[in-house]
Amino acid sequence: MSELYASAPIKIRADLAAAHTRAWERIGRPGNWWDGAQRVAIAAETRHAPSCALCRRRIEALSPAAIEGEHDSLGALPESVIEVVHRVRNDPGRLSERWFRGLIAAGLSEEQYVETVSIVAHVVAVDTMARGLGLDALPLPEPEPGLPSHYRPAGAKLGGAWLPWLEPAGLTEQEAGIYPAGRPAANIMKAMSLVPDEVKSFFDIVSHQYQGPLEMRDFSREYRAISHAQIELLAARVSSLNQCLY
Amino acid sequence: MLLRASGVTHNRNYDLNSVTGAVQDDGGVPHGRLLVEFAEAVLGEDEGALAAARAALSKAIGPTGLADAAGVVGLFNAIDRVADATGIPLEAEKAEASADFRAALGLDRFSVAARR
Repeated sequence: MSELYASAPIKIRADLAAAHTRAWERIGRPGNWWDGAQRVAIAAETRHAPSCALCRRRIEALSPAAIEGEHDSLGALPESVIEVVHRVRNDPGRLSERWFRGLIAAGLSEEQYVETVSIVAHVVAVDTMARGLGLDALPLPEPEPGLPSHYRPAGAKLGGAWLPWLEPAGLTEQEAGIYPAGRPAANIMKAMSLVPDEVKSFFDIVSHQYQGPLEMRDFSREYRAISHAQIELLAARVSSLNQCLY
Repeated sequence: MLLRASGVTHNRNYDLNSVTGAVQDDGGVPHGRLLVEFAEAVLGEDEGALAAARAALSKAIGPTGLADAAGVVGLFNAIDRVADATGIPLEAEKAEASADFRAALGLDRFSVAARR
C-alpha cells in the first residue's frame, strides 16, 4: 500500500501513504453519482484549473460574478461541473449560496455537487502536500468500469448548510461509522454527508494527514513529529490565507 | 481555536496574531515564524521562496517534521474548500468560544453570512 511514495526523497509515514493509496484508488472507482472516468476527469480538471485565464480575471475582480467567459478546461466534463471545479479550486473564499443555487437550478444535482467538491478536496489535499515537499504530483489513477450507485441517504435533510446533511440520529446501518463515537459530529463532518462514502474517504485522509478527532483534542501527548500548537498554527494560517472562517 | 486550547493546556500564551501573518516572530510557538512562512510559501506561487522556506523548516524541525507540516498545510488547504463550498456555519459553541479573537483579528469578514 505504501508504494505510492516508495521512491520519494523524503520519508512519508506508512499510514499516511496507505491513506493516500486508498483515496487514489477510490477516485478511479465508480462513486455514488459519477462513474470512474468522470471522477478521474474531475481530478484532472482540478489540476488543470490553476492555469485558467477566466479564473485569473475573476480572482482579480471585485466580484467574480462580474466577469463572464468560458473556462480553459480539458473539455471532458459538463460546463456546470467545470465551473464547480474551477471555483472551488481557485477562489473558494468567495463562493456564495446564490452561486450554488444557480448551479442546482441549471441542472447539476446536489449529490453530484457534493461528490465533485469531495474529489477536488481529495486532490488538493494530496497535491498541496506534494508541493510542500517538492515532490512530483502523483499520477492519477486509471478509471475502473462500472456505474455509480445513485445512493442517497434517506435521512438527509436541510440543516445549517446550503445542502441537506445527515444528523447522527438520522444514520442508517449503511451510513454507520461516518461520524466519530462519543462526541458530537462537527459541521465539517456533516458537510458532505449527502454522499456518505465521500465523508468516509475524506476523513480517512484527515485522520492521517492531520489528526483523528480524539487525537486533535488530546493535548496530553503528541501524535506527530510536530506539536499540537505547531499543527494548529499551520492550520489556522492556511485557513486565514484561504479566507475561511471555519 | 485548538491553538488557544493547546496553549491553555500547557499554560502558554500564544500570540494569535500569528494566524494573520501580522507578527514577525514565533508567536510563542516553537519555530512558529518558519511554520507560517512555509504555509504562506506553499500556498503562494514563488518557487524560490518555497524552496527557501522548505529548507529552513527542514533544518529546524527535521525532514519528518517537515513531512507532517506539509501534510497539515495540504489538508487544511482542502478542508477549507469543503467548508466554503457547502456553506456550513461555525457551531454555536465554537462561535462563542472564538468570538473575542475573531473580532480582534477581523476574521468575521470571512463568515458564511458575509458571502450570501
